[in-house]
Amino acid sequence: MGMEGIGARVARKEDKRFLTGKGRYTDDMVVPGMKYAYFVRSPHAHAKITGINVSAAKAMPGVIDVLDGKQLQADGIGNLICGWMIHSKDGSPMKMGAWRPLAVDTVRYVGDAVAIVVANSVAEARDAAEVVTVDYEELPAVITSVAALEAGAPQIHPEAPGNLIFDWQIGDGAATDKAIAEAAHVTEIEILNNRLSPNPMEPRAALGVYDEAEDHYTCYTTSQNPHVARLVMSAFYNVAPENKLRVIAPDVGGGFGSKIYIYPEEIVCLWASKKTGVPVKWTSDRTEAFLTDAHGRDHVSKVKMAFDKDHRIIGLKVDTIANLGAYMSLFSSAVPTYLYATLLSGQYAIPAIHANVRTVYTNTVPVDAYRGAGRPEATYLLERTMEVAARELGVSPAELRRKNFIRSFPYQTPVIMNYDAGDYEASLSAAMSAADWDGFAARRAEAEGRGKKRGIGMSCYIEACGIAPSQAVGSLGAGVGLWESAEVRVNAVGTIEVLTGSHSHGQGHETTFAQLVADRLGVPLASVNIVHGDTDKVQMGMGTYGSRSGAVGMSAIVKALDKVEMKAKKIAAHLMEADESDIVIENGALKVAGTDKTLPWFQMALAAYTAHNLPAGMEPGLKETAFYDPSNFTFPAGCYIAEVEIDPDTGKTEIIQFVAADDFGNIINPMIVEGQVHGGLAQGIGQALLEEVRYDETSGQLLTASYMDYAMPRADDLPSFKLSHQNTPCPSNPLGIKGCGEAGAIGSPPALINAITDAIGVEITMPATPLKVWQALQAAQPRMAAE
Amino acid sequence: MYDTNYHRASSVEEAVKLRSSQDEARYLSGGMTLIATMKQRLAAPSDLVDLRHVASMKGISVEGRKVRIGAGTTHAEVASSSALKSVCPAICHLAGMIGDPHVRHMGTIGGSVANNDPAADYPSAVLALNATVVTDRREIVADDYFQGMFDTALEEGELITAITFEAPEKAGYAKFPNPASRYALTGVFVAKGASGVRVAVTGAGSNGVFRATDIEIALSASWSSDFVASVAVDAGQLMEDMHATPEYRANLVKVMAKRAVAMAG
Amino acid sequence: MEISGEERIAAPRDIVWAALNNPDILRQCIPGCQTLEQKSPTELAATVKLKIGPVSASFNGEVTLSDINAPESYRISGEGKGGIAGFAKGHADVVLEEDGVDTILRYKADAQVGGKLAQLGSRLIGSTSQKLAQQFFADFNAVLTTPAETSL
Repeated sequence: MGMEGIGARVARKEDKRFLTGKGRYTDDMVVPGMKYAYFVRSPHAHAKITGINVSAAKAMPGVIDVLDGKQLQADGIGNLICGWMIHSKDGSPMKMGAWRPLAVDTVRYVGDAVAIVVANSVAEARDAAEVVTVDYEELPAVITSVAALEAGAPQIHPEAPGNLIFDWQIGDGAATDKAIAEAAHVTEIEILNNRLSPNPMEPRAALGVYDEAEDHYTCYTTSQNPHVARLVMSAFYNVAPENKLRVIAPDVGGGFGSKIYIYPEEIVCLWASKKTGVPVKWTSDRTEAFLTDAHGRDHVSKVKMAFDKDHRIIGLKVDTIANLGAYMSLFSSAVPTYLYATLLSGQYAIPAIHANVRTVYTNTVPVDAYRGAGRPEATYLLERTMEVAARELGVSPAELRRKNFIRSFPYQTPVIMNYDAGDYEASLSAAMSAADWDGFAARRAEAEGRGKKRGIGMSCYIEACGIAPSQAVGSLGAGVGLWESAEVRVNAVGTIEVLTGSHSHGQGHETTFAQLVADRLGVPLASVNIVHGDTDKVQMGMGTYGSRSGAVGMSAIVKALDKVEMKAKKIAAHLMEADESDIVIENGALKVAGTDKTLPWFQMALAAYTAHNLPAGMEPGLKETAFYDPSNFTFPAGCYIAEVEIDPDTGKTEIIQFVAADDFGNIINPMIVEGQVHGGLAQGIGQALLEEVRYDETSGQLLTASYMDYAMPRADDLPSFKLSHQNTPCPSNPLGIKGCGEAGAIGSPPALINAITDAIGVEITMPATPLKVWQALQAAQPRMAAE
Repeated sequence: MYDTNYHRASSVEEAVKLRSSQDEARYLSGGMTLIATMKQRLAAPSDLVDLRHVASMKGISVEGRKVRIGAGTTHAEVASSSALKSVCPAICHLAGMIGDPHVRHMGTIGGSVANNDPAADYPSAVLALNATVVTDRREIVADDYFQGMFDTALEEGELITAITFEAPEKAGYAKFPNPASRYALTGVFVAKGASGVRVAVTGAGSNGVFRATDIEIALSASWSSDFVASVAVDAGQLMEDMHATPEYRANLVKVMAKRAVAMAG
Repeated sequence: MEISGEERIAAPRDIVWAALNNPDILRQCIPGCQTLEQKSPTELAATVKLKIGPVSASFNGEVTLSDINAPESYRISGEGKGGIAGFAKGHADVVLEEDGVDTILRYKADAQVGGKLAQLGSRLIGSTSQKLAQQFFADFNAVLTTPAETSL
């Protein structure tokens, strides 16, 4: 490692443009003749469309055209799909209802797109959208997953009777039931995981450009995975064949999962561009984002955890209902199944696990992956259950966890995952010592003297990242492989371009990926450029989500670098008349080990391109590509501790300290990793204390569609975090990286709720708002007085 | 936003004249509510009369105990006024808690009082301080001015030019912010002055700012936060929304009143 | 949310009942009502202009009378489209009870809004509905009992 290599705290290369307003986002794109779109959306949660009248809108000033779903259907544009097949336990495939990019007969949530207006300006498009009259025949709506499964609930899709999409299971039900029957103690708990809106700083946007002369489409869009967008739009939505469709995801201001999916808007903008003959740009406003960006979480679960007389877990039974909203979004089926139930073993050796998951349609925004995706749900469930169990068993939460930790690796869980490496004790000890866990009793007593209720709580999380071995996910129903690709181009002057299929939308790839190259080839960071986000430049890619860019994307770069290095050494050996195996790369030069012979990197590169003197038979140039398919998931894990103080007068929770001890394997840039953890913690704390999507349960109206009502975490809601890293390198990838993007959001909610329930002595659901905490304290008071 | 005509007034007279020349004209001060509403197309004034360049509506003057705050004075200016701090720090404290720095540098006291949002901070101060709302045509005492949420005694086209009050002997403001918007979920302003003890509550009433007379009586008997604790606050007339129940707001009225008294000293 | 209330009206029940069915009087009492046109004995077309703080919205819609049990009770329902603002609907179950020479009017009302009004103004829905319902019945009482009123 040097000043700029692996392990260095290099300032982010991309921040200058972001911080000086020079980032180039989809909405910044201007192409000649560009016009603007506005979508007409359903104000009803569930209704039949009985008529659409666009004649007045078409006559409005500046209007180019108004298009509806029937026209789109007539042009053969396909329905949106969920790309991960799940089978119910009876063997039947999941029941996917039709999701038309523009609704035709029925609207199924408030915000469902009905028509698109294209006009000379956004204001004119909006004006015209206001006079599009859509006649609706309102239908009863159902909002909560539990209500959707009740007999007589409004039926949302004809394809899914009773609104049930699938009824899936994993694990050994009989063995788990037996364990519960034989248990010395069974902890039972109901877990609610609140519904969240992703809220990336940049709202979604799409610019569709159809070139009639070339019969070619370009789509600028806010995507975490432009190649997947191109693939899906070609293969399933029939927009254009892949060679006629270029997808560009320029600077993207955050995604958190919500920009993985292909939404109706980009499809409709591309189609509308062809239909109208003009480039069509749409940019979401914030309320539209609340109304249409895929939401996250929304699980209702019942848990039984069985212990033997020595407090060892002998079985875990979970029954979960997951709300998938009005339509199945791209990866929606995978989130409450293979991204969730496969993590239910947590950090613990549990011999028998069984999970049953039912997914349901409701008249709400589609639900899909959101930072953590399934793993926060599993962690919250397990770590809340462990906490309650420890209290019931009268043992310390740390001891109960320690007793059940997995301590030898590899470890095969009963729910598919094979953990490759970890040291859970190390993170637990580091966190407890950083938090001065042993001194808590004194701090609590001191707080009590001030009339405050102080509590402490921990959470030991594990996640599966680096998604994922293609063959494995294929066998589980994934519609795509989950490898990554890279291309390393060494220019004739020795500078380097790395083209990656990973996509950076806040992660800092331009810095960390360059650090890898700088480290490996000994060239300055400034001479390395990272290129991503354009299907015409990058050969192929699966994109960025699930903390996979380091473990999978960088591993692909390593593979390409291996090839580059091999060829560079051959050239150098040839030029310096040495043996290839004696060549070492150091400080920007290729050297013959043990001699003073040296060849600057740029001269080697120049030689590759002049091709005047290359080894016999060698092709000119220095550019290599690689595809990397991981052999296993990676398993970041750690221990988080939250200490809170509650004001019983108002119910307000103050976070006194928050400790995060994470094992991410090897780390490229500690500063960026810390930033990722900070952001994840903020989102996890948001989920635990503040954030919740609320619908009117009768009308299905979204009530939290602005920051007036949807509470985002602010700087003053957060403490200064205490971070530390433990390191058991990941054995399955060349860099030993596990991934760090989601841990903060996964591990923090249960730590906080465990701390709050420790403080107030009663159970509470997320978000633990001051109102709820106060109500819980009020409800508990008479009971406490009676005790 | 729909098309609108923008006018910049340089005097109160010009502003009132511009406003009255169009039926659907509106005054624009900091625009912290109006512009956001217009962007949502939920308000469509034909004309906007910008008040930000009316010099006579700006600034804070303190003469002895007499305070005059020009209607066009921003929250940031009120929050940081040393003259005001020396006679009524509570109002500076209140202004410093409104919204965020951006809002405080744009929003004005006149705009806030004219809008009379049921969760805005300023109405509680104006009511508790027994302030006078000075307009282009008259002076309105606070008790007459606030007439329910978003309702005021202002006539069509009437323009607030200043808020005046006699600095109280003691005053305090405590606010429990809405976790999302940071408006007052409940805010209580207490003042003890020439007009006795006055306690005004914002954010909690189902029909806007109101005086908590029971707490006033308790504090008149003894100015101490312990006395507030003995008062029963009726949840009956308090607001219910997704952020708080009437019972929770009733509790907050009491807790914030206690804290406001403690702050007032 | 459900809103309930009552008004003591200094008029006999038959007069109150007649007024509850009189479009002229309803127009005067429905907050912001610009026009109210009778389409059938139980159906009326209405335009209503409401201003809640900074928000102005115009609604076109229908007022329907149902569950009629003359002269004791009915349900009055309203439903209006407010264009960009969304829509609003609500109803009130009204019961008249004779009390000497007076009539006690009791109501239970429910209101719902949709679209932008719900998305952006949810904190105000409850209080506004309550305020409008109270205003309607209070104005109704005033119209009926103000001597100068000649519209009867």
